[in-house]
Order: sequence, then C-alpha cells, then structure tokens
Amino acid sequence: MFFLEEIVIQLLLNFVAREDLNAFLRNPQHTATIVGSLIAVSGALLGTFLLLRGMSLTSDAISHTVLLGIVVAFILMGSVFGQHPDLSSIWLIVGAAAAGVATVLLTELIYRSGLVKQDAALGLAFPLLFAIAVILVSRVVSDVHLDEDAVMVGEIGVAWANTNSHCLSGCESVTITPDDPRAELTRQCTNCRSLGISPRDEKAEFTAICTNCGQYSPAQAWQAGFTKQEPVLVFWPKSITVMAVLTLLTLLAIVLFFKELKLSTFDPTLAAALGFRPTVMHYGLMVLVSLVAVGAFDAVGSILVVAFFIIPPAAAYLLTDRLPRMLVYSSLIGAAGAYSGYDLARGNLLGIANLSDVLAGLNDLFGLGLSESWDSSISASMVLMTFFFFLVAWTFSPKYGLVSTMLRRRNQRRSFDHQVVLGHIHHHQGSASASDELAASTLYRHFRWTPAKMQRTLRQLRARNLVEVEDNLVSLTGHGEIHAHQFRETQLTNESVGE
Amino acid sequence: MTVRNGHDSNDNSTTALEIDDLTVAYNSKPAIWDIDLRVPEGVLMAVIGPNGAGKSTLIKAALKLIPRAAGTVQFYGQPYEQVRGLVGYVPQRGSVDWDFPTTVLDVVSMGLYGRLGWIRRPGQSERESAMHALEQVGMQEFADRQISQLSGGQQQRTFLARALVQDARIYLMDEPFAAVDAVTERAIIAILRELRARGKTVVVVHHDLQTAPEYFDWVTLLNVEIVASGPIAATFTPDNLRRTYGGRVAYLHEGQRIAGLEEE
Repeated sequence: MFFLEEIVIQLLLNFVAREDLNAFLRNPQHTATIVGSLIAVSGALLGTFLLLRGMSLTSDAISHTVLLGIVVAFILMGSVFGQHPDLSSIWLIVGAAAAGVATVLLTELIYRSGLVKQDAALGLAFPLLFAIAVILVSRVVSDVHLDEDAVMVGEIGVAWANTNSHCLSGCESVTITPDDPRAELTRQCTNCRSLGISPRDEKAEFTAICTNCGQYSPAQAWQAGFTKQEPVLVFWPKSITVMAVLTLLTLLAIVLFFKELKLSTFDPTLAAALGFRPTVMHYGLMVLVSLVAVGAFDAVGSILVVAFFIIPPAAAYLLTDRLPRMLVYSSLIGAAGAYSGYDLARGNLLGIANLSDVLAGLNDLFGLGLSESWDSSISASMVLMTFFFFLVAWTFSPKYGLVSTMLRRRNQRRSFDHQVVLGHIHHHQGSASASDELAASTLYRHFRWTPAKMQRTLRQLRARNLVEVEDNLVSLTGHGEIHAHQFRETQLTNESVGE
Repeated sequence: MTVRNGHDSNDNSTTALEIDDLTVAYNSKPAIWDIDLRVPEGVLMAVIGPNGAGKSTLIKAALKLIPRAAGTVQFYGQPYEQVRGLVGYVPQRGSVDWDFPTTVLDVVSMGLYGRLGWIRRPGQSERESAMHALEQVGMQEFADRQISQLSGGQQQRTFLARALVQDARIYLMDEPFAAVDAVTERAIIAILRELRARGKTVVVVHHDLQTAPEYFDWVTLLNVEIVASGPIAATFTPDNLRRTYGGRVAYLHEGQRIAGLEEE
C-alpha cells in the first residue's frame, strides 16, 4: 500500500506542487468526496450484479458480518501471531472475506435444510454472526477503536486526518537505542506485581527500560525533535488508498470476467453446462462484496454500506436495458450521490438551497428556535442524495419512469376508446337501428360513458378525420372505415394466441 | 403422417448418449430410479411421461447440473466434462429472468461462450454466427430487441438459436414446446427436423402426446423408471402409455392418436 502511494504521489507531483497537494488532501471535503465516490463506484458495480441476481440484501448481511471477520482476525493477530493489531492489516481483509463467504455458506446451509425460506435463512444467519462479533468486540478487544458511532455511520468526515506520511527530501529516519544520549531511560520494578509489593519495598528489583527507543520515520523524527532539518512531506489519507485499490480490483474483476458474470447471473444452468462453474463465480462475487464492505465499513459504517450497493443499480436499472450501460450509469449515480452528499451534509442542496438559510427562515417565521447551522452526518447525506437521484430516475426515466408510464397508459386508454367507438359505428352503420344507435347526442348511453367523455372522444375522432357527424348522426369517413377494418384484422384475429 | 420408420437395427450405429443405472433423489425421494438408456446417434427422441416423472431431472442429471445419487452417463463413450462442446442444452424458458438488461443477439451469443473459454470476449465472428442462428429461427429482425419485449414463443426461439449456435452433435431440450404459439411450434419442429437431417441427435422433453408420433421417430417413456424406449412405431403403444400414465390415458385411437391427459 505504502509503495503504491509513493508511485501515485511521484506521478501527481509532476502536475501539482507539493504544498498544493497537501492542502488539497488536508481539505476534509476532498478526501471525503474521493473516498465516498470510490465506495459508491465499487458498490454500484458489484451491486448491479447483486440486484440482477435478486440478492441485494446479501450485501446488507455481509456489510454487518465482516465485523466478525475483523474482530476474529484482530484476536488471532494479537494472540496467535503475536503481532501488534493494526486496523489496516492484510489479515483483516482476509478475515472480512472469510466472514462474507461464511455468511453466504451459512445462509445456504440453513436454506438447504428445507425448513426455512431463503429470505428468512439470510435473516437467521447474519444476526447470529453479527451478534457474535458484537460480543467479541465488547469482551475481548475493548481497547480497540470500534465504537458505536463508527459502526453506525462511519468516519468519512475525518478520513483526511488518518494519513501515511511520505518523505520527499531531507528524510532522516532516526533509530534510538538505549545507549543513545537522546534515549529516555526509566526504572521499572520487575517483581512488584508478582510479590504484591510496592516499588518502595526494599525487596523490589529494578531494571532500566527505554521509553522512547525504536524506529522513527522522518515525519515522526521531526515531530519528536530528533532532527533539525524539516523533512519535505506529503500526507496521504490511508482510506483513499484502500478504497482505490478495492475499486480497481472490482473494476478489473468485472472487466475480465464480464462475460462469465453476465452468463452466470442470467442463466446459471447454462453457465454450469458450459463449464463456467457458477458457484465459483458466486463466491468470487461474495468475496469482492466483502472486501468492499470492509473498506467501506470504516468510512460509512455498516448500516449505510448497503445503500451504496443497492440504490445506484436500482436507479440505473430504470434508465437502460443494456448491462454495460447499467454498470456505467450506476457508477455515475453513486459518485454523484457521494459528491453532492458532502455538500448536503454542510447544508448545501445541489447549490440550489442553503439549508442553514432555510432553518433561519423557519425561525423567523415561526420562532422555532432551531439551531441555524446545518451540520449533519456525511455518509447519511450521501445516501440521501443517492436516493434523490433514484427518485429522479423513478419519476422521469424515459422508458420506465412514472411520468412516461402514466402518459403511455393514458395514450393507450385513449386510443382504445377511439377503437371502441369506431367499432361500434362500423357495426351499426347502415343497419336498421342506425338512427337509434348512432345518434351523436345519445351515443354516450350505449357505452355507459359520461356525455363529456363521449364528446371529447368524438371531437378527437373528428379531428383525426375518422368520423363525421351529420344531422346528429355519426358515421365513419372512408379513412375511418380503413382504420376500423385494420384494427379488426390485426387485433381481433391474432394467430399467436398461445401465450 | 410423416413418421420416419425408426432405426430398427441400430446395433452397428454410434451411441450418442448412454445412461447406466442412473438414480437421482431429492431429499431421499427418488426423482428418477435406476435409469438405463441408450440413444442412438441421429434420432429425434421425445422423453414423455406424466408430471413429476423426472423428465427434466433426467436431462439435468445427464449434464451433471444436479448431483447424481448413482450411475454413469456417457456422451459418445466419454463423460460429459470431456465432450461439453458436443452437447447443446436448451433449459426451460421459465428458468431465467427475461427482464435481464440485454438483447436477443447477446443471449444467442452466450451459446458460444463455452467455445470461447474463460475471459475471451465474443467478437465480430461470434456476432455473425449468432446472427446466422437467429435467421434460422426466423428472428433476425429481433436481434437488437430487449429480451423483455419478446413473446413466449419468441423467447423459446431465442433459446433455440442459442443452442444452434453451439453447433453441437447432440441437443438436450427441456420442454421447448411448452406454452408456445402455433407459429413457433411449427418453426421449432422444422428446425428439429433439419438438425436430424444433418445427422444430429436431439432429445426433447415433450408434453403433448397428440403430436409426439408426428414429430419424433424415437421415444422414451418415463415415470421415475424407464417404461419403454425405442423407435416410436414400436414403443408408443397404448399399452406402454397406460403403463406410463397409470391408466389415465383418456382416449386412444388406432393405437396412435392419444389426447387429453396432460394439463397443458
């Protein structure tokens, strides 16, 4: 990870000055937006396949159970491998992936028993694993930074502050040994605890220990005052690297295995028959979901991760019927949600309205005494904005949106009304009962329609030059005859009725 | 009637599909029981039996899509894994989500994925093969259509085109005639006959007893166990049918025309 950051920084420094890069990254908005967008893009890409497989909620389950993987890896690292537990270790990633797979396996095991339905099986498996994780967190790793707030909504707002420092020049790493003049030595009682005596007791034995010995990176050495020359540093937020690597991994997997993922999603049976091992694809996908979930967990919390997996694909599904476009659209929607979500958290709704002003206005009008500074959860605001984009797609999608569906239905209803009237005229025209059946003023009664509806329909038909009215008698024009005839031919005598 | 008079002596012909002692069970209840079946190359065979007789199970187990409790299956003398390219499979139309965001041509191209192998993408030549298969089923003008806009019959023809594009030696089809319109049924049977004329072997799970003797030249009657299997003229007898359906055959005429026992 560190090495990757180094390369990227060297690359960026060709285009921007170091001071500008540091200033850019130190801005909470920039880091939060970058990390949020990366989470949104990787979530949207994987979520597209989850949505099409009808397993959207699996991402919710996995985003919770990865906590178990994290905690177990943490304990193993501490007690078995004797390493210092570190939240960005590779073992946590392995643990998270294992937990994700375990969730899916357990769900399938419960489902296969034949005693429980699929959704309930998921609902049984993941609270079990999550509960174990919560208990382990509170009992075993109480000193770890995993508080409730972090689990709920994450810490994307402070992601900028958790950085790796990269030294460009003036780099002096310092190693302090006990015989270094700068070493701070202190005495520690070696047998006080075992004998239950105080250090003042005469039987107490002491050893000298060094409190500041160890390796110092250039940045740490400068901070601790061990070097005189200030190193030239770039501070790179860790979560950008983590999410960028995960996003690239996701992108790579989807580009390479696009055909296999598509086939095993659309028709797993054929995928199996052709030897593509849909089960392997399935678990591969679950591993990726787990990895992104654990990366996102830190930033947006386990509860909101699911939104980044589900909402953008659901919106994209309404906008296109091509899988590649659906992947692109859902990534864009996710990224847009993350970008505008940060602004919303600071009270700015898409540059249209300032929510602080709205609150102030409400206070002026009603004397509510609300706090006038709008400052809310960044991750929750990102979710809200993504949902807003979903609503836009849901309402205005040209093909499947609410508005176009309503318009289409209205047109269908109207054209059907036209056909009904044309058919009626066609049927009775020139018959003995024509004067009764085809009187314009009373025609509505034969259809049990309101007079207004009849008038409107006749007006439309006359405008289309299909019907004419003479002496209160409606009749088809030549054009109308052809139209009515065609309708009978195509709609009423259909050979393909086996549906 | 256009019944071909079977392959009465096929002792020296190749065996396309050979199944020995095949048993499949769902939760210890046998779905098919101790199946021994030999399908000679070049026949157009119907698998016929009542609901729950294990017709689809037989095909899926032959392709190892579901676990076998016992038995062996060989295509041209080899296990399925080694001859995947020789076997084309048409699943039931209802087994996939037709709202999936893709086009007819793309679904047909999926038949070529096996030949492409992992990672390699379909290109121009694959598109042309798929287009050719669509022409064969009379669907070329639907190539760019979103699949959710197809009628049931068109969906079935799309699936058939996807199998044709595989250019297999033996085809296994799960209920291709289920709930299709008359136009599609005629189109499908024309394609099946053309496949047979090109020397292919076709195994079809079939529901309609009335059309069976007209469409097929070979038949396997199945009700968990094999009741009978062989040339249709000798096998599709009232007696065998009664044994298959347990006396539920409502109407037998001239020992051939049977009607009215299936719900579809």
